[in-house]
Amino acid sequence: MKKYIVVILALVMVLSFSTIAMAEAVEISFWTLNSRQDGVEPIVAAFNESQDEVKVTVSFFDTDGIKDACKIAASSNTLPNIWFNWGGSLGGFYADNGLTYNFNDYAAANNWDKKFSSSALSLCTFDGKLSGYPTSYNVLGVYYRKDIFEKYGIQVPTTFEEFEQVCATLKENGITPISTAGLYGWHVMRLVELLIEHYAGAEAHDSMNTFQTSYDNEAVIKALTKYQEFVEKGYLPDGFVTADPNDTNMAVFSGTAAMDIQGQWYDGTIVQNEQDMSKFGVFAFPSGGTNRMSAFAEMVEFNVNNTEAQIDAGLKFLDYYHSAENIEKYGAYYNLPLPVVDPVYPEGLPNVPIMIGLAEANGTFTITDQAFPTEIADALFNVQDAIANGEMQPAEGATKIQAAIEAYHSK
Amino acid sequence: MKAKTKIDWGAYLFLVPALIIYLSVIILPICYSFFISLTKWNGIGDMNFVWLENYKTLFTKDPIFLTSLKNNLIWTALTICITMPVSLGFAVMLNNRFKGRTFFRGFFYFPCVIAPIAVSIIWRWIYNPNVGFINQFFKAIGSDFSQTWISDPQVSLYAIFFAALWAGVGQPMILFLAGLQTLPVEVLEAATIDGASGIKRFFSITVPLLKETFVIVLATLIIAALKVFDIVQGLTSGGPNNATQMLSTYMYSQTFKYSNVGTGTAISCVMVLVMLIVIVPYVIFTAKED
Repeated sequence: MKKYIVVILALVMVLSFSTIAMAEAVEISFWTLNSRQDGVEPIVAAFNESQDEVKVTVSFFDTDGIKDACKIAASSNTLPNIWFNWGGSLGGFYADNGLTYNFNDYAAANNWDKKFSSSALSLCTFDGKLSGYPTSYNVLGVYYRKDIFEKYGIQVPTTFEEFEQVCATLKENGITPISTAGLYGWHVMRLVELLIEHYAGAEAHDSMNTFQTSYDNEAVIKALTKYQEFVEKGYLPDGFVTADPNDTNMAVFSGTAAMDIQGQWYDGTIVQNEQDMSKFGVFAFPSGGTNRMSAFAEMVEFNVNNTEAQIDAGLKFLDYYHSAENIEKYGAYYNLPLPVVDPVYPEGLPNVPIMIGLAEANGTFTITDQAFPTEIADALFNVQDAIANGEMQPAEGATKIQAAIEAYHSK
Repeated sequence: MKAKTKIDWGAYLFLVPALIIYLSVIILPICYSFFISLTKWNGIGDMNFVWLENYKTLFTKDPIFLTSLKNNLIWTALTICITMPVSLGFAVMLNNRFKGRTFFRGFFYFPCVIAPIAVSIIWRWIYNPNVGFINQFFKAIGSDFSQTWISDPQVSLYAIFFAALWAGVGQPMILFLAGLQTLPVEVLEAATIDGASGIKRFFSITVPLLKETFVIVLATLIIAALKVFDIVQGLTSGGPNNATQMLSTYMYSQTFKYSNVGTGTAISCVMVLVMLIVIVPYVIFTAKED
């Protein structure tokens, strides 16, 4: 009898060990944008099927939803293992509060300086700590409808005055010059920051965005006055103040608007929406000087509470996610090119190399909502709304932005 | 001789589970929230105790908070003056016997089952100044009338309220309908025999007999009005330039966008206080009448 008991116990022990061995797959939770869902889902499914060591569970959020979800999760200590984020002040919040894994040692040991572009690494570094795996480096320019420009004999503008003339010609012909939407403020901000760049110049603009110079100055007032003029002349769509920025492409695709300030990812949007790519071109907004373009980085941040196994699992997944094979298959769902040294430009997205080339030649500045903390960015967005609705004059707007900066820093 | 009352302490034990749940999910969170509202905290780092500073700042230095408070009070007034009478009107109409009554009951209740965020998407398109139904309708009938609706700060709050009315009228309507069906038919018949007109019958008999339903409907509508969030967040996010900012949306921004958890919690405490100020006297008043 005793022999049987020993055998049974031994069998139970072996089975227990084998179950443990089977259950050893490291589980990784991953939060990302729903605009990439059609690409991310099959990639995650293929990754989970291709091996037994790592199991990735993915959740999707819209652009503003992921910002809120991460903030809520951070305050309740329930952040996922890895999550998509932007560089600048948005991703910096988690790094500043010690919630992200510091990749400094890992990056040094694995030669990330030879793998990733220095500009992307720099935008993912906060207070000397590399706080994320860089996934893209984006630059914003003006996408325009070539066919509409040709129809009305319009040349790509090379000066700000020419740009204004383009807007006037389009408006005269019943076309809304610039498609934009202000529901969350950041899409309209893309125009406003370029107007500030035009009137302030590169050096002063950088100085204002790092809070070394007051926003309450003549250049900002002139920029806001020009923005007001654009609104009054109907260069922006009716009711744009509360329109959803995800819908700006509808007006451009349908031909009721001719231009949209977008990043190089817009080529992917054109493909996803089955539009004729040959109708679209890009140019750098002629803000003056070298016509700098706004830029921002995207990354995947890692939870500081991850175990070594989870960090390795997360990196293994991200390397797979960014493999050449997946990029070829799902190119429209990445913000290509990858932020790597000597990036490979995808086929079928012809404006991407043009935009990256323009950014390299012209130089860039950090996009305002990543340069500003959210609270100050929202003050700018309120000023944009108020000026558009005629509730505020530009001079008051400049004062309000500076007041918000001072209030934030005096907290 | 006075009989000695024996206390059955064992019976009290049965209350313990409910008490634990009540304390842990209601009382303690309320106390903790009030405590947080007295601090300066970003939700992650150390808390700094600042006593009533957050409240003082909100009421003396924060115009957006005061706009939110004003908007909530306007919304509450609109709810009482429009949502309640409209829902009562529908309920009275649908209480009559006519062909297709069941269909119309379902039809008017149906928007209630749509998620508020979906309602906001539907109405954002209806209000779209370029391709939206309303402006296109005016265009189709040859009218020059055009409005930017939710983008116009003078109109946006009322435009959102109308969307909320469309979505929310079904719930109080059902409560009124249930109340109307419990009314004693003989009383109404007696009034009719005595020569009371329809309007006289409605205001002198139906409305007084529906008093308990009114208590429930009014209380739930006021609470819903003071904590309205999703439809505003979905349609305008509190914009343009805070014209539709509500206490709940501003609380959300302060807490989760700006990481000013102390300030955000102070706003939520003010919300609770306002609700108590409005609801408690009403409930006490109606209870006293009973």
